[in-house]
Amino acid sequence: MEAIRATDLGIRFKVGKRKRTSARNIVVSGFRRRRGGADDFWALRHVSFTVSKGDTIGVIGRNGSGKSTLLRVIGGIYPPDEGEVSVQGSVSTQFSLGAGFETELSGIENIYLNGILMGLSKKYIDSVLDDIIGFADIGEFINMPVKTYSTGMETRLGFAIAIHVHRDIVLIDEILVVGDAEFRKKCDERLDKIMGERTILLVSHDMNAIRRFANKVIWLDKGQIVAQGEPEEVIQRYLGS
Amino acid sequence: MIEQFKSIWQRRELLFYMVTSELKAEHKNKVLGFLWSFLDPLLLMATYILLVVLIFDRGGPQFPVLLFCAILSWRWFTSSLSIAVVSITSKSKVVQTTRFPLAVLPLSGIIAGLVDYLVAFVILIPLLFAFDATFSVNVLWLPVLIIVQLVLTIGAALLCAALGTYLTDLKNIVQFILRLGFYLSPILYSVVDTVPERFETYYMLNPFAALIESYKNILVRGEPPSEYMAIAAAVAVIVFVIGFWYFGREEHRLVKAI
Repeated sequence: MEAIRATDLGIRFKVGKRKRTSARNIVVSGFRRRRGGADDFWALRHVSFTVSKGDTIGVIGRNGSGKSTLLRVIGGIYPPDEGEVSVQGSVSTQFSLGAGFETELSGIENIYLNGILMGLSKKYIDSVLDDIIGFADIGEFINMPVKTYSTGMETRLGFAIAIHVHRDIVLIDEILVVGDAEFRKKCDERLDKIMGERTILLVSHDMNAIRRFANKVIWLDKGQIVAQGEPEEVIQRYLGS
Repeated sequence: MIEQFKSIWQRRELLFYMVTSELKAEHKNKVLGFLWSFLDPLLLMATYILLVVLIFDRGGPQFPVLLFCAILSWRWFTSSLSIAVVSITSKSKVVQTTRFPLAVLPLSGIIAGLVDYLVAFVILIPLLFAFDATFSVNVLWLPVLIIVQLVLTIGAALLCAALGTYLTDLKNIVQFILRLGFYLSPILYSVVDTVPERFETYYMLNPFAALIESYKNILVRGEPPSEYMAIAAAVAVIVFVIGFWYFGREEHRLVKAI
């Protein structure tokens, strides 16, 4: 069964027009740049692929190649400017580890805030609170403000919340590279567990992680797909480029 | 627009948590914590009493309590707009990674401000007694005034939130307009004593002139709200509709503009 289908997908950023600007810029250059086109920047263009239910897709490419933009389109954050994308099932956007943390608040308060931000209900969070705290395993810090956390602790808490958001499609951006060896093992085990039941899109620079989890790889460069298919084949071409 | 209301209503739990965490984060780190909800307007009042009573030798016997009523209402409006104008850019990480109705961001600032506003009544009520305010049945207008102000603030805040994302220096412009609005509204003075009669109609077209005058009327003077309140209510509804319409139109473009 098909989970995601993208057809000739394009995402355009208007550098001159709609981009954040200041009043001064509008006065100085706004009138000259009125006609868009030349200033458009395509973060993704002519991207087509399909993902079957239960697939784990590795997305690779250099920085700025459009990997995160792709996840955002699938997560429904950016509507496509060109082409189409259809997504079957609910999506969890867990490429946002700790993005919604209010650093003045404690870990527990942030579990509620973030869980609800990701679409969980308070009742559900009540029922998994102990699991989340157990998985994060940061001891007494769970009652302290998040601003006192190390980067590693923030990631642990973020990941612990994210894996308790049960969705059909799971988007993961670069999280496997952080945390100590022990926590990484825990995350890997968890991923192993959900693989197959859920559809996963995994963005990473860590080729070992991609090799281990993905059954298909998409290689993006400058917003376009260079190659897609068998993981080893695509990875070899990417590393040789 | 009904779709927008629905999507916000569906995420009311999120709105509730945003408001409580905003309030907690605001007060948690301070030694005096929630006391600042009272202290802040009180200190502001003291400053203006110094200015108006001692320096300019103006203001009547009830001046402090009239001033306090006005400051409370105005403070809610300014804090709402100041939060709204950066509400989306300051949460760029969340906005770029999680899907939720963006209107929740400015709205949570407004509701947090409303809570602060209502909490300050704990100080206002004894002040009303201390300065011999006239009580009458007109006090019952209070919820109506608060709703009109809420509707107006939501509209203005949504406009600020959307435009502030595109235009980085809207923040400065809004600060200036609010400063101007402070002097153009009857906060430091009363309309009857200060505004020349031939300008009164124009002056009262400012919805905050009518609102603040009405707050003073119903709480301190025991009189009905200003006759210009109907216009203020109409302006509030218009601003509300424009705010929702514009925000709804731009919502999906805002994320890309950050």
